[in-house]
Amino acid sequence: MNYENKNLSCDILVAGGGIGGLSFAVSIKERMPETDVLIIEKQTAGYSGKANKGGGVLQYFDPEKVQPIDFLKLHVKEIGAYLGDQEMMLKYVSMNKEMIDKLSEWGVGIPKDENGRYRVLPTGPMTAMIRANLDMTVQVRRRAEKLGVRFLDKTAMSDLLTDGGKIAGATAFSILDGTFYVIKAKAVVLATGSQNYRIGSMWSSGRGDGIAAAYRAGAEMRNAEFGNFAQLAKVKSHHEVVFGENNMYNAEGEFITKNFRKTRETDISSTAIREWYIQMINGKGPVHLEFGEGHPGPGARALHDGSKDQSYDSRFRELNEKSAAEVDTDLEVCPLFIGEQSPICVGHDMQTSVAGLYAIGDCSYCGSAAPGAVPAPPGRNRGSGILNAVFAALVCAESIAASGLGGGAEIDMAQAESCREQLFAPLNRKEGVTAKEVIALVQKAVAPVEQSVFMKQDRMEQAMQYVRKARELAGKMKAEDLHDLLACREAEAMVLSAEMHYFASAIRKESRGWFLREDYPDMDNANWLKWIILKNVNGEMTYTTRDVPIEKWPVKP
Amino acid sequence: MINTAHRIEFFPEKCVGCQLCYKACFVDVIRWDPEAKKPIFKYVSDCEHCFCCQAVCKKEAIRVIPDYSSEHLLQSFERYA
Repeated sequence: MNYENKNLSCDILVAGGGIGGLSFAVSIKERMPETDVLIIEKQTAGYSGKANKGGGVLQYFDPEKVQPIDFLKLHVKEIGAYLGDQEMMLKYVSMNKEMIDKLSEWGVGIPKDENGRYRVLPTGPMTAMIRANLDMTVQVRRRAEKLGVRFLDKTAMSDLLTDGGKIAGATAFSILDGTFYVIKAKAVVLATGSQNYRIGSMWSSGRGDGIAAAYRAGAEMRNAEFGNFAQLAKVKSHHEVVFGENNMYNAEGEFITKNFRKTRETDISSTAIREWYIQMINGKGPVHLEFGEGHPGPGARALHDGSKDQSYDSRFRELNEKSAAEVDTDLEVCPLFIGEQSPICVGHDMQTSVAGLYAIGDCSYCGSAAPGAVPAPPGRNRGSGILNAVFAALVCAESIAASGLGGGAEIDMAQAESCREQLFAPLNRKEGVTAKEVIALVQKAVAPVEQSVFMKQDRMEQAMQYVRKARELAGKMKAEDLHDLLACREAEAMVLSAEMHYFASAIRKESRGWFLREDYPDMDNANWLKWIILKNVNGEMTYTTRDVPIEKWPVKP
Repeated sequence: MINTAHRIEFFPEKCVGCQLCYKACFVDVIRWDPEAKKPIFKYVSDCEHCFCCQAVCKKEAIRVIPDYSSEHLLQSFERYA
């Protein structure tokens, strides 16, 4: 295959045009207007990512009712299970109004009342939500364009380029014409999303390719074992039922929510997923939901007024709900594995262990350690997904503006050429397996919840057999065209994510927060108040542990 | 999801060539024909039935028809496999 080579340069290269990447680009241009910022996006920036396909809600903390420290205490105990970076969580809560105001200033539609205040729906003693229009990413892209941010759509980052441990740039390719780009940059910001393994429909943009590129470049990974989010979904339409875990019944009509939940909790827990599995394995399935008389039914629709206007929001919701209603004749549910692995390890400045390489949003949520023992947003914290991305973007822009751009690293063209050869190899193979065959094996490992959410050594071993087979076949993938080639890169990333999940999960011999092991059912603060750090050392996955500095933080076990 | 059997109906006479469906598709199902100024539904087996393309099309030139039986939740029990 003989595709064109092109060399580009910029000050800051952003990989990923979802809400995180766009928010960073706008924020850095506001602080450093002369900076040359280029966003590359494998589909179309402003339409990609997950922010425009979710609930369209932002977590809101009323400063008159909630002190950041009070929410921190709740989060650390009930959600993060003492594994979170409390400084970062405190900062996230403290910046709540600033983040929402920024989105509004950037053109995102956030409904206000007649007094000019955001319309707020309380969701708990400390939490509330406000609505944001689903076209938010389009609006922030427009803002970025006005500020002079450059865009290269339909261009997938393939590898990161380093020079003596510092970032030098990245390689990328056009999924339309195969042009191979070598992009020199003083800093690279990954905003490429989490790993969702192509299982859940609305989560399917998270394919982990940025995570894999960072791993290959030698960046540390943290909390990879917390990439196992699952949600209850209706069996026929596969549409998720947010908060459905509060209304679970088995085939004998027994209210089974009481088996794992004594009081109402912030969101779905892995214990709800475990309960579904226990009921099924004991022959008491299927599991269904029941709602009392007069209950509006499943889902969180209170924020949406149901008006039939022709906005993207209304049309998107109406089409999805109507389609599901045509097949959902009952409320039988089972888990939908979502994943949300987000392990790129970053410090308080959002910089990875590779100098000049930053990671924000869903690719580094667990890696930032801010949330603790819970997968990426929503992470038992509804409305935090979009805001976490905005938070990380603002913090990253602030830190780059304060420290300045490094630079000085040079592109090693031999390194770039090697990346090109490896990238295009599947197009040159006449025989081999398809990317989808590899992905199917990874999905067989991670999707069954007893192998990924409610884990036990023998079941993890079963899963690892599929992952090892997938790894073997990944080296034999063939691609018919550039669409296929992208799928091959994504398949490789999925194999790596599954490997990291099982590698770290086998090491953590306890249960903590979302992380559940049948063979180690208790939280073990004596031995496991630690983060597991994974790193690629000469092609081998290695690990170290790092103590959580709980002694310097306000909330202790 | 992989290897889905969702269908996409396209009504070219309604299409005004705005490219919004092409931009909205986040899984590369839709490509663009610059000469015809129309979308090409090239990789339909990768469709996730998200309805984004249909939702952005104000001319109602696209209709997504999901086949839920082609999606799999991949749980171990037979009815969910």
